[in-house]
Amino acid sequence: MAFLSARLARACKPLAVWGVSVAWILGSALALVPAPDLAAQAARPSEYQVKAVFLFNFAQFVDWPPEAVADSQAPLTIGVLGENPFGDVLDATVRGERRGARSFVVRRYQRVEDIKICDILFISRPEGDRPEGVLADLKRRPILTVSDADGFAEHGGMIGFVTDRNRIRLKINLGVVQAAHLTISSKLLRVAEIINPPGP
Amino acid sequence: MSLRDWPIRKKLTALLLLISSVVLLLTSAAFVTYEVAAFRQTTLKNLSTLGRVIAANSTASLAFANQADAKEILSALRAESHVVAAALYDKDGRLFSRYPATLRDDALPAAPERDGYRFEHGYVIGLEPVAETGNPRLGTLYLQSDMKAVSHTLRLSAAIAAGVMAISLLMAYLLAAVLQRRVADPILALAETAAAVSTRQDYSVRAPKLGEDELGTLTDAFNLMLGRIEDQNRELRHYATELEQRVADRTHELEDRNEALRRNAAELLAANTELDAFAYSVSHDLRAPLRSIDGFSQVLLEDYGTQLDEPGRDSLQRVRAASQRMALLIDDLLKLARFSRAEMRTEVVDLSKIAGEIVAELQRSTPDRQVECAIAQGLEARGDSRLLRVVLENLLRNGWKYTAKQPRPRIEFASVAGNGERVFLVRDNGAGFDMQYADKLFGVFQRLHSAAEFEGTGVGLATVRRIIARHGGRIWAEAVVDQGATFYFTL
Repeated sequence: MAFLSARLARACKPLAVWGVSVAWILGSALALVPAPDLAAQAARPSEYQVKAVFLFNFAQFVDWPPEAVADSQAPLTIGVLGENPFGDVLDATVRGERRGARSFVVRRYQRVEDIKICDILFISRPEGDRPEGVLADLKRRPILTVSDADGFAEHGGMIGFVTDRNRIRLKINLGVVQAAHLTISSKLLRVAEIINPPGP
Repeated sequence: MSLRDWPIRKKLTALLLLISSVVLLLTSAAFVTYEVAAFRQTTLKNLSTLGRVIAANSTASLAFANQADAKEILSALRAESHVVAAALYDKDGRLFSRYPATLRDDALPAAPERDGYRFEHGYVIGLEPVAETGNPRLGTLYLQSDMKAVSHTLRLSAAIAAGVMAISLLMAYLLAAVLQRRVADPILALAETAAAVSTRQDYSVRAPKLGEDELGTLTDAFNLMLGRIEDQNRELRHYATELEQRVADRTHELEDRNEALRRNAAELLAANTELDAFAYSVSHDLRAPLRSIDGFSQVLLEDYGTQLDEPGRDSLQRVRAASQRMALLIDDLLKLARFSRAEMRTEVVDLSKIAGEIVAELQRSTPDRQVECAIAQGLEARGDSRLLRVVLENLLRNGWKYTAKQPRPRIEFASVAGNGERVFLVRDNGAGFDMQYADKLFGVFQRLHSAAEFEGTGVGLATVRRIIARHGGRIWAEAVVDQGATFYFTL
């Protein structure tokens, strides 16, 4: 289980005359506790709006292996395999956004074979419910696979969206992620449930 | 007691303490000001560091809308007691999470304003953008910290400054109490010495010299001055002693001389008295044989004149003339002796009147002579009238006598003022005398003219001088031969 701590450092300005320097570090261990359900907000975005933003945000917390990035200027591709539940929400979300020098592009695929260049792949429900075939095809390719199908992460997917009392939670299969040589930020891991930690 | 009357030690100590206080106050004020200013900067910097750390940790919470995680991250602020409020806003400015969880909505801004850290309404507030490096903004972190740390620092600095000041002032006082002696002690030593000199008049004390500075020079000069005064005093005492000795010697000498003079005077008086008595008795005793000589010569001439021839009678006539002249001499000598011894009765005497009476008497005794007499009126003097009459009679009779061969004889009695005293004079235009014999004029039996020329015994002027001397006056004469003489006298 990942255990993260935020270190808050506070340096005290030394007293000028005596030149005494005092510094100390405050450490605080943060434990994951079940969050109480907050009251629903008024203008709540739709489920797929949130998921589209999450997909877009994954790009900020995941690093791809250098060989997977052909060109530092190349657009970062978010693909949707199968039926498109986002409508044009995903396009609207990434429009004009950049990660560093890279812009975003959304592609839609009907079949796995169509996938050539892809960084983040959302696998829709029908395919996601039985993902082993798709995943086998994508095995060892540096593509972050995401789905809201039940048990996606348990079945070898990387990140699964889990709806829990109107909230979308993340479940990450860290072993698969690392096998694909992807690096997920510890901050992202903090807000997710991690399964299948990498074995020894 | 006013400041200028303070003892010098107190003054020096107060001066040093005053300077120390001012310097310490300024230094402390600068120290506290610097501390507070520096601490405000540090507070801002610390809050911004804290903000960056929290913001960096909050990215995933905002990116994936995990309020539980956000709350947990914010709850770490418990460790920073000065942070009184914190909040996370999503990228649309909606409140996403707050700290503490019980915070009321109105304690937080409805929406995040401009980014940055600043002092506002007595708090330090900070607005930190939440974003992954190089990625779009995910939201905003709001932090609010109270100023207790700043005021605590201010109090701490002030307390330290006060403590340092108190210790420094104490040290300054102790140092001043020790160091002021270096300046004050020589001055006090000088003052004590000066007081000893002025109260006891003791010039033998010396001020101790405590250094080679200006005070040392002053001490040297003061001691040198004391030394000079002491020397001069000793010299003065020496002179005074010497002077006293001299005065005593001189007094003794004078007493001796006085004694000698008194003795001499007494001897002289005795001798004079004896001499006068002798002269009187001799003169008196001489008169009896003289009368016999004259009487029997007369008897001889009258009874036996016819039996004598002419030369015999002539000889007897000469014997008689000589004995009569001798009787006259003896009378004058007796007069001189009498006036020398006679008792004096002092009164105011009208000299002009006496002179007039004498001239009238002279005119009566020799009516055939025509002498012009000029007698000044109102001349008075204090003296014995009988003796002064003798003086004037002698002088005027002389004038009368020595103008006998003058075709236009003239006698004058007057007075002139000379040398602050009144000088009487008797002047005639008669025979006068040679001034070379002027000192013999007043001697007994001293005559400048022969008896054949002018008759006289040579005792008159001696008598005059004796009387003038008894009145405490002087007498002298001026004359030109054949042109007259002037006798001056004072009384």
